[in-house]
Amino acid sequence: MTKKVLSIQSHVVHGYVGNKAATFPLQYRGWDVDALNTVQYSNHPGYGHFDGFRSRAQDLREIIEKGLLEGLQQKYDALLTGYLPDPEALREIGDVLATLCESDSEIKWILDPVLGDNGRLYVSPDAVPAYKEILLRGTVYLATPNQFEMETLTGVQITDLATLKLSITRFHELYPKVPNVLVTSVMSSTLDQDTMICACSELSKPDSARYFSVPKIDVHFSGSGDLCSALLLDIFLRQPSEALDLARAANEVLSLVDNILKRTLQLHLDTQQKALGQDRPRKINDLRLIESRDLLDGSGELKYTPMVL
Amino acid sequence: MPRLLATQSHVVHGYVGNKAATFPLQCKGWDVDCINSVQFSNHTGYGMDKVFGTATSAAELESVFTGLKEFEDYDAMLSGYLPNRESVACMAKNHADLKRRDPSLTWLLDPVMGDDEELYVDENVIPEYKSLVASSLVDVITPNQFELEILYGRKIKSVRELQDALKTLHQTVPVIVVTSCSSGLFGNSDHLYCVASMRGQPASIYKIPVIDSYFTGVGDLFSALLIDYIHHKCNDSNTMDCLDINGVLATVHQVLAVTLEHSPKCVKASMGSPLTMKQMELRIIESKKWFTGKTPNENFYHGQLDLV
Repeated sequence: MTKKVLSIQSHVVHGYVGNKAATFPLQYRGWDVDALNTVQYSNHPGYGHFDGFRSRAQDLREIIEKGLLEGLQQKYDALLTGYLPDPEALREIGDVLATLCESDSEIKWILDPVLGDNGRLYVSPDAVPAYKEILLRGTVYLATPNQFEMETLTGVQITDLATLKLSITRFHELYPKVPNVLVTSVMSSTLDQDTMICACSELSKPDSARYFSVPKIDVHFSGSGDLCSALLLDIFLRQPSEALDLARAANEVLSLVDNILKRTLQLHLDTQQKALGQDRPRKINDLRLIESRDLLDGSGELKYTPMVL
Repeated sequence: MPRLLATQSHVVHGYVGNKAATFPLQCKGWDVDCINSVQFSNHTGYGMDKVFGTATSAAELESVFTGLKEFEDYDAMLSGYLPNRESVACMAKNHADLKRRDPSLTWLLDPVMGDDEELYVDENVIPEYKSLVASSLVDVITPNQFELEILYGRKIKSVRELQDALKTLHQTVPVIVVTSCSSGLFGNSDHLYCVASMRGQPASIYKIPVIDSYFTGVGDLFSALLIDYIHHKCNDSNTMDCLDINGVLATVHQVLAVTLEHSPKCVKASMGSPLTMKQMELRIIESKKWFTGKTPNENFYHGQLDLV
C-alpha cells in the first residue's frame, strides 16, 4: 500500500518552499501526498516582494473535516504541518489534527513549529501559545524546531552544547507527550564557526540525545527547513517500529539535504558565472529540487558522526 | 531545465488538474510553476455535495499573475479547468501577454467545457475559449469531440465533417489533438479514437482499447505529457516536422493499467459514489517508472484520417 500523508503548508507558484518543497520529494520517494495549501503566493517572501492570498481558516477546516475525513474517509499514515499564515488557522487546524490523531493512534504528526529564525519572530506573537498548546495536547509525534523556535518554546537560550542539552531536557519536561524532537541549525559565537549543530532526542530513551556537527555552507537557502522535515517524515517513518533510531534518521536526512544544497549551489554558480561572474551568493532563493531528483532516489548515506550530547 | 507555467485546478486528494500534471512533468525534468484556479478537497466527480473548498477569484488569480512578472522565462504554458468566465478571461489575458512577449514559448490550451453532450462550465465561458482559439496565439489545443464541436460551432457526424472542423480551426491553431472522438465516427465502441492533426499534414488516428470504468484526470495527464513531447520535438530538431503522439498515449495507457492493478477487483467507479471514485483515482505516484524510464512502445497508430 502506498503510504499517505496530509501536508498542510504554504503554496508558492514559483520556487520551492512549503508544500512545493515537501510534495515532490515525498512523491518521488513513493508517498501519496494530499497537499492542503494555506496560502497561494506568487513566490516566497524572501524575494522581498510577492503577491497572492491566504486561504481562510474556516475553508481549510471544512476541506479537512467535511471533505477528506467525512466525505472520503481518508486514512493517513502521517501529517505534516509547516508555516501557517495566522494564529487563527493554526488553532483551527491544530484542533482538527489533534482530534484526528486522538481518534487514530497510528497517525504520526510531524510538526515544524514555524515561528521565526535568527532571533526574530516572523509570525504573530499569538502563534507561540498556540504551538505550546498543540505540543501539550500529546498528539505530535515529532517536532522539528530550529534554534530560535526551540528557545521560544522552552525559554532556554542556546549558547553552547550545555544549554542545547538543557533546552532538550526542558522540552521533554514541558511537553512530556511529544516523543521525538529534532533541533536544527544551532549556531553560536561559542561554537565552532564553520559548523552548525543539529540535535535530536527520543523521550522514551534516556540519554538518547545526540548531536551532529554539520559543516556550514555559508549561504541561506530558502525552503531547506521544509525539505528537511519532509525527508525526515519519510526516513524516520520508514524505520521498522521495533528499531526506531531518530539519530540515524536525522543523520540520513542531514546528509541528503547537504547533497541537495551543494547541488543547488553548484547549479547556481554555473549559471551566475555564465552571466556575471559574481561572487559566492549570500542567499539562494530557489532549491534545485527537480535537478536533484537523482539524489532523492539515493538511499542511506550517513555523512556525520553522532555525538552524545 | 525547461520551465512551465500551468494554470488549472488543485485538489487536495487525488489526481486531476495540476495534481495530475505536475508530478509526471517534474519526473521528466520540468520546473513546474502551478497556479491553482481552485482548491477543492477532491474532484467534482465525487458529487457536488462532496466537494469542499473554494474557487480562486479572478482578483486573486490576477494578483498571483502580477507577482509572477519577474519570473517570466517560461518555455511552455498549459491551462486546463477554470471554473468560470472571469477566471478563463484572467488566464487568457495573462497567458496571451506572456506569449506576445516571447512567441517561442509553446502554449497548450485544453478548452475544458464538457463531455458527452454535457456542458460542465458556465455557458458564458464558450465565447472566451472561442476568441482565444481565434487569436492565433495558442499553439496546441486538446478538445474532446464535444468541445471541438463547440469551438467549430457545428455538430460533427462524419469523418468528412471532422476533417472540415480541423481544417477550419487550423487557420488559427497549428496543432489539434482531439482526445476522444465519438465511437459513431469510426464505428467501434470497444475502442477510443484519438485524432492528432498538424496544420498542413495528414491527421493521424490512434485506436485505444476502452477500459470500462470512470477515470478522472486522464485528459489533464495527457495534455501534460503532450506538451513535454512537443517541447522536446521542437527543441531537438528546431522544427516540428511531424506529430506522432503514440508515446504519449502509450504512457497514459500504462498509468491506467497501473491504476487498475491497484484497485480492488470488480470495482467500477461511477459518478457520485465517493468511495468507488476514490479507488479509481489515477495512480500517478505508483506510475513513476513510466515517467522516468523509457517510453512504452505499445502501438496504437490506426492510420491516416484522410484515408478512412
